[in-house]
Amino acid sequence: MSASPLRQVVPSPLARRDPTVKLALLTLVSLVALLVLDPVTPAVLYGLALVGVAVATRAPARTLLLAHVPFVAFAAGVLVVNALSRSGTLLAAAGPLVVTREGLALGVALAARTLLVGVLALGFVLSTDGVALMTSLHQHARLGPRVTYAVLAGYRMLEEMPREWTLLQHAHAVRAPLRRDGRPALGPRHHLGVVFGLLVVSLRKGERMAQALESRGLGLAPRTTWRPVPLTRGDAVLVVAVLAPLAAVLATSAALGLLEGPGTLTR
Amino acid sequence: MSAARPARPEGVVVDRRPSAAAPDGGEDVVVLRDVGVRFPRRPEPALRGVTLRVAPGDEVVVLGPSGSGKSTVLQVVTGVVPHAVHADLTGEVLVAGTATARTCVVERSRHLGVLAQDPASAVCLPTVEGEVALPLENHGVPAGEIDDRVDAALAGVGAGALRHRRTAGLSGGELQRVALAAALVTGPRVLLLDEPTSMLDPAGVRSVRAAVEGAVRGDGTTAGGPAGAAAPRPAVVLVEHRLDEWAGEAGVDGLPARALVLGEDGTVVADGPTATVLRDAAARLHAAGLWLPLDVELLALTGAAGGLAAEANRALLHRCAGGTDGRDGALSRPGREPGPGPGPGPGPEPDAEPVLVARGLSVGRREDRRRPGAAVLHGLDLAVRPGEVVALLGANGVGKTTLLLTLAGLLAPLAGRVDGPRAGLVLQHAEHGFVAHTVAAEVTHGLGAQAAAAVPGLLRRHRLEHLADANPFRLSGGEKRRLSLAAMLAHRRPVLLADEPTLGLDRRDTVATTAVLRAAAAEGTAVVLSSHDLRTVAGLADRVVVLGDGRVLADGRTAAVLRDDAVLSRAGLVLPPLVAWLLAHEAEGALGPALRALDRAVP
Repeated sequence: MSASPLRQVVPSPLARRDPTVKLALLTLVSLVALLVLDPVTPAVLYGLALVGVAVATRAPARTLLLAHVPFVAFAAGVLVVNALSRSGTLLAAAGPLVVTREGLALGVALAARTLLVGVLALGFVLSTDGVALMTSLHQHARLGPRVTYAVLAGYRMLEEMPREWTLLQHAHAVRAPLRRDGRPALGPRHHLGVVFGLLVVSLRKGERMAQALESRGLGLAPRTTWRPVPLTRGDAVLVVAVLAPLAAVLATSAALGLLEGPGTLTR
Repeated sequence: MSAARPARPEGVVVDRRPSAAAPDGGEDVVVLRDVGVRFPRRPEPALRGVTLRVAPGDEVVVLGPSGSGKSTVLQVVTGVVPHAVHADLTGEVLVAGTATARTCVVERSRHLGVLAQDPASAVCLPTVEGEVALPLENHGVPAGEIDDRVDAALAGVGAGALRHRRTAGLSGGELQRVALAAALVTGPRVLLLDEPTSMLDPAGVRSVRAAVEGAVRGDGTTAGGPAGAAAPRPAVVLVEHRLDEWAGEAGVDGLPARALVLGEDGTVVADGPTATVLRDAAARLHAAGLWLPLDVELLALTGAAGGLAAEANRALLHRCAGGTDGRDGALSRPGREPGPGPGPGPGPEPDAEPVLVARGLSVGRREDRRRPGAAVLHGLDLAVRPGEVVALLGANGVGKTTLLLTLAGLLAPLAGRVDGPRAGLVLQHAEHGFVAHTVAAEVTHGLGAQAAAAVPGLLRRHRLEHLADANPFRLSGGEKRRLSLAAMLAHRRPVLLADEPTLGLDRRDTVATTAVLRAAAAEGTAVVLSSHDLRTVAGLADRVVVLGDGRVLADGRTAAVLRDDAVLSRAGLVLPPLVAWLLAHEAEGALGPALRALDRAVP
């Protein structure tokens, strides 16, 4: 079999930053964006975030584009539903469908927010190794060792899962009934069986891994941390590089009278 | 001493070799006093009145038939029983001088190192060095010492080169060595080994065995002791049924110095120096279906020590091979003495048309296909006739499983073609194929409504009658393998493919499995199997195909190919001493019958 089926993180400036800091920034920006309900501010923020993520992760345009598909689909849905369902000033009408100015504005705001959070999450995922994330959360976010190492063991199981899945598929296909063309009929029942098998196999493996972790003293106190990962000046630079433009955009938007908050929903 | 349970020290004197003297001369590191274990919903106790004292530096191997509670002994020491697996525990258990009734598994880990059976779940973290560093972090070792101790522990098990690898790409033998390093890195007082090689091929077995040897005995210190300090060597308790492979070329001397034998009922049958115990209990252990070092197996059959050097043993093998030594009928142990088999048994029908034909076949995994040279085997031609048993041999990773999957039509050939009817396939991991909630439903899966009538016969034939209503996933390892073979054979396909059908099975289950495969061949099924166990192959297969260097190295009658030293060394195959002796001293056609005669001697 090939090496790890899980994607390896490509080295980049953002990949060198501490995962806890990245996660905290992602959460903070998402919370702030939740309160912004005008169309322009989140759209500008999205544009800046897109450029920032592209530069900081060095991800190829193709990767970014493909990863956008689910966010764009969701954003488009939000946009259409809001544009068509809110009352307000009539903009256009086609038969029973009516588009209002207020609806369109809110739709664009929500769609831009979806894209903003989406692209930031993308930057996080593209630049963060799962193991580094857990280690960092354990160190900097006081995540307990039992949880941390349970998740890491789960990560290893996840790495093995495609192989297990193929094995199960093969084992089940051998006795599957044949279709008319002579190939095994691999319908929903077959897949249900494989899923159930994967569940059983994984549960037993998880049980054995838990025993292995306990036998190595996981849960003893006090414990030490080998190679603690300190927060660096680079992490501070990242915080400033994210929060300064955010504050600037919000301030400018407010000064221009464009910024709108949750009040817009009740108007 | 075979029946009495010796209560040390007044019973059997335990042989502690001078080099194994307790460094701290102190108390026993593990004490079990009159321990009984009863699992819920089981009528009989798993262990009864087990008493065991392990002193610092002791090396003990725990023996017994399947289901005798060998692993339970280890679980009682680690605390998995009764803390993680519910059970009634009576008697007294002390680890490092502390009564353990209240200490949990994690607390006991301060004194214990554990290596379990399954390599895939023995290693829990994504990177090798993280895995080995974790126990040190848990034990609060100063961060500055960890680096050197990780290095020392990995070097101690011959895995220094793996330090910077990810665990996802490691082989079974490599994973077990990393897990062993993680077990030893904290310098435990006791190392517990629970059938650590039963899921490995011979090369993996050798590497793990050498790692244990080197790490525990090497230079008198454990691999993982604090840097510079000579930590005391751990005591070792090993549970193992494949004693022949664990002993290796050294025979009985390659085993831990002391042996504890458990009976079917979970009582201690013998406890003493391994050589003495094996000599006295040889017949009992042979009858229990264990894999024994050859000397001991022959001793059980003839009563003669000395293995292949002893005249009585040579005479026995000669008779098994169908020859006579002038004392035909004068059996030393009636009822146990194996004789030549009844007739030649099944075999290929030389004039029959092949039922499975591969021409110019290249095989490889589809996901690797875009890489150049993705095929693991090239230009392979193979024809298998009805009633023929063909074994695929070759080193780990040579492509045996991939070839079987391709012959079964589950992987598309990269080049060439496979012609033949739909083949049956039994995979190594039996439980991956289970689909039903009862054994009875499992054997008829995919057969249609009229199959129900055949269930009783099928179950009887494969010794599964008493389990008809059991859940397939809850069976023992050997039972799972029997079930998956039975369920596939029920389809009566003209071709049966089997991937390592006997790996990890005890002797009795191995003999039963080969008997089933030969019976299928006798009914006209073409059987193709892969195996690393050359003794089993030599007794089972009419023909072997040796794979290596991405192609077929040899294809011919079993005995003829196994005689070809050039082919064997090229493919990395090592003949077991018994097979080598038979090939050197008996007629070519006698190899299979002789080995099968020895198999029949297992009750």
